[in-house]
Amino acid sequence: MADNTMGWDEFEIGAMLRSFDGPIKDIALTPQEERNYSPNNSFTASVADWRIEKPIFNKDYCIDCQFCWIYCPDVSIVSRDKKMLGVDYDHCKGCAICVEVCPTNPKSLLMFPEQEDEEAAIASWPEKEEKEK
Amino acid sequence: MSEMKKIKNLKEFSTSADRFEGANLLCPGCAHSIIVREVLNATNDDLILSASTGCLEVCTAVYPYTSWDASWIHIGFENGSTAVAGAEAMHKALKRKGRLKQPDKEPKFVSFAGDGASYDIGFQWISGCMERGHNMMHVVLDNEVYANTGGQRSSATPIGASATTSPAGRVSYGEKKNKKDMVAIMAAHGIPYSAQVAPNKWKDMVKKIQHGLEVEGPVFINAMSPCTTEWKFDPKDTMMISDLATDSLVFPLYEIIDGHKLNITYRPKNVIPVEEYLAAQGRFKHLFKDEYKHLIKEWQERVDKNWEMLQRREEAGV
Amino acid sequence: MAFDKMELNEIEVWDGNFAAAQALRQVQVDVVSAYPITPSTPIVEGYAKFLADGYVEGEFMMVESEHAAMSGCIGASAAGGRVATATSSQGFALMVETLYQASGMRLPIILNVVNRALAAPLNVNGDHSDMYLGRDSGWIQFDSYNPQQAYDLNFIAFKVAEDHEVRLPAMVHQDGFMTSHTAQGVKTLSDDEAYGFVGEFKPMNDMLDLENPVTHGVQTEEDWHFEHKARQHHDLMTKVFPKIEEAFDAFEKLTGRKYNIVEEYMTDDAEVAVVALGTSVETAVEVAKEMREQEGIKAGVIGIRVFRPWPFEYIAEAIKGIKALGALDRSSPNGAMGALYNELAGILVNSDEKAVLTNYIYGLGGRDLTKAHLKEIFKELKANADAGKPTTELQQFIGVRGPKLAYL
Repeated sequence: MADNTMGWDEFEIGAMLRSFDGPIKDIALTPQEERNYSPNNSFTASVADWRIEKPIFNKDYCIDCQFCWIYCPDVSIVSRDKKMLGVDYDHCKGCAICVEVCPTNPKSLLMFPEQEDEEAAIASWPEKEEKEK
Repeated sequence: MSEMKKIKNLKEFSTSADRFEGANLLCPGCAHSIIVREVLNATNDDLILSASTGCLEVCTAVYPYTSWDASWIHIGFENGSTAVAGAEAMHKALKRKGRLKQPDKEPKFVSFAGDGASYDIGFQWISGCMERGHNMMHVVLDNEVYANTGGQRSSATPIGASATTSPAGRVSYGEKKNKKDMVAIMAAHGIPYSAQVAPNKWKDMVKKIQHGLEVEGPVFINAMSPCTTEWKFDPKDTMMISDLATDSLVFPLYEIIDGHKLNITYRPKNVIPVEEYLAAQGRFKHLFKDEYKHLIKEWQERVDKNWEMLQRREEAGV
Repeated sequence: MAFDKMELNEIEVWDGNFAAAQALRQVQVDVVSAYPITPSTPIVEGYAKFLADGYVEGEFMMVESEHAAMSGCIGASAAGGRVATATSSQGFALMVETLYQASGMRLPIILNVVNRALAAPLNVNGDHSDMYLGRDSGWIQFDSYNPQQAYDLNFIAFKVAEDHEVRLPAMVHQDGFMTSHTAQGVKTLSDDEAYGFVGEFKPMNDMLDLENPVTHGVQTEEDWHFEHKARQHHDLMTKVFPKIEEAFDAFEKLTGRKYNIVEEYMTDDAEVAVVALGTSVETAVEVAKEMREQEGIKAGVIGIRVFRPWPFEYIAEAIKGIKALGALDRSSPNGAMGALYNELAGILVNSDEKAVLTNYIYGLGGRDLTKAHLKEIFKELKANADAGKPTTELQQFIGVRGPKLAYL
């Protein structure tokens, strides 16, 4: 992995970067966990420190509609086999779009302060909101 | 030709393995990456990609990281389209000469560029690519401003928006010129497919991208990309703003086949007043002062007129 | 679809443009992305016609500007194949942004530059303003003096540029009209010999290798940029000349034609010499012979064959024993000494050689450099040699009408 202690003679020419270590067939059919990411792939990096608030996922209310998956700008909603599994906190920037688009009542994703404990957050989850008549 | 990916519903779509990665440097809530994900996930075909200089480019290939899981190239501000066109030409040549490493695969060629890089500085390059008939798709991430350089007006900036080079002030309401109709200009090249898309209408987007990748020849896609930073709204509201844009018909969704036949692809059940769209964004805040309120009325009239024009073109079916 | 080979005579009468076009055909360039401009247009027209007649297999992109032409070349080259184009003058100037990008991405594109003046005022004829404009762009620059060399140096350029230890783009220069449109006898290679000499293109970091995706054209800020530029410079300084010499040797074995990084004519015993580029080298050689025969002046000529990387050590060797040197610059220096003068001064300043160095600006916009001009120059150089110091101003304009122009 290129790092900023390296000298001019240690880089690939042309500042070229590879996405993966070694060849990969059918990338579009290979889930992220099965890919051999190169250390130069931003998948291996983290933007967790951008957040001051984080989304916490409460699967009790989730209907796996996948709105959060499709509208997440940061590929941070982990969905596999049509099920929402949780939030990828290495890549989530805390924009809260997932919370906004969540259609359940109460929401299955809510924003909490970054330091909030997940169990405590779920324990304090709000009740279903009554619709105003 | 490879088989088209089947995407019946969102659950099925969510089984896609993303080829665009997180920990890129785009702003929280940026619509660019939502659009890029929807475009890339619309197909399982191999991809050869480019980006022109702009937010997407400077945030996804900052050494020593790349956020791209397909071959990708950036040259300059104006020429991302031509970079992909060159790669497409090379693919054709090597295919004919039997020198492709994976001859059984047919990659798709897609260039991404902002509105500045498409409507303004890259206009000629894109026009050339469309006119020459390369088998490629150009996708504009249209946030109606030079966001990467800090919010200067482009020829996609709409009337009344406050941008740093057309600021609203004591005696000015901001941008004075109407947005350039880029889809019409590109369709006028006689290309097989051009369309306008928005990230909130993912199904409409996926259908258009799939169609665009399927047809032989150049395709132009204008994707509305609400910009939390320059349109001045809270990052969490990106999809809400997108809904307001499509449902107020400020950003109508349609396609143009073979340069002439126009189809409207989304008709809002309840059309929202343009005023609500404008009110949700800081860039239009000054329009709500008494002296500029007539501009909001004019906005509505312009949107109504455009919608009528689109409907008439569709009805005419020519 | 296959292509037909072309039967060539041992010697064909070709101008420089057609010779270059034939070379592009013979190495079977995969993609040419080009835009027309006088005087280089016939090179890409030639490729297009060979394509139309089935003598080459590839893709020709006739784009909408020179900037797009090089952009297309960059995309095609990064995709992984043999790429070439041609341009001149204003077109070259429009390409400049992309020239730096091509070399920075280490893409072995071959650009035939048919040298022409830069406006304003507009001019279609030959001078070296465009060649000089390219000298910091990170490309290898070969310079030919006649159609034969324009042909031969194309093969050398492909062989060197595409070598995986080099991977740098290269320009092959020829003088507008004087070379590009002057038909001369050109000794040809057969199609098989030519292709065999350059060899099949070997891809590297190619975008079309779908199982090994690559990212080209990244952003490198202050933590990285310097190292990448340093690497490119290092490779230009250390890797290019050995590969060029290797290619020159192989070419000599194949054809009997010998090229050198710096061409020396009668320099062994020369007391005075001019240093020049392009067609002027041939005129200067003829005059130098006459100076020896008629005036008893031991005149020599140094022709720059490789302008970039700058052959510092080769020239240091070539100028040994010479007492007065004239740097002939065919480009308006616009407020400075000519480029060749400055480069030569850089060599002389730390050398034991104490040659007197003066600068001649000539031939702008296609103005002829006559034998009479060169005779006068050699005489002045002789006077400098005898005096051990300049007897004229350091910089003089040659062949311009009006009061004499001389500075410093």
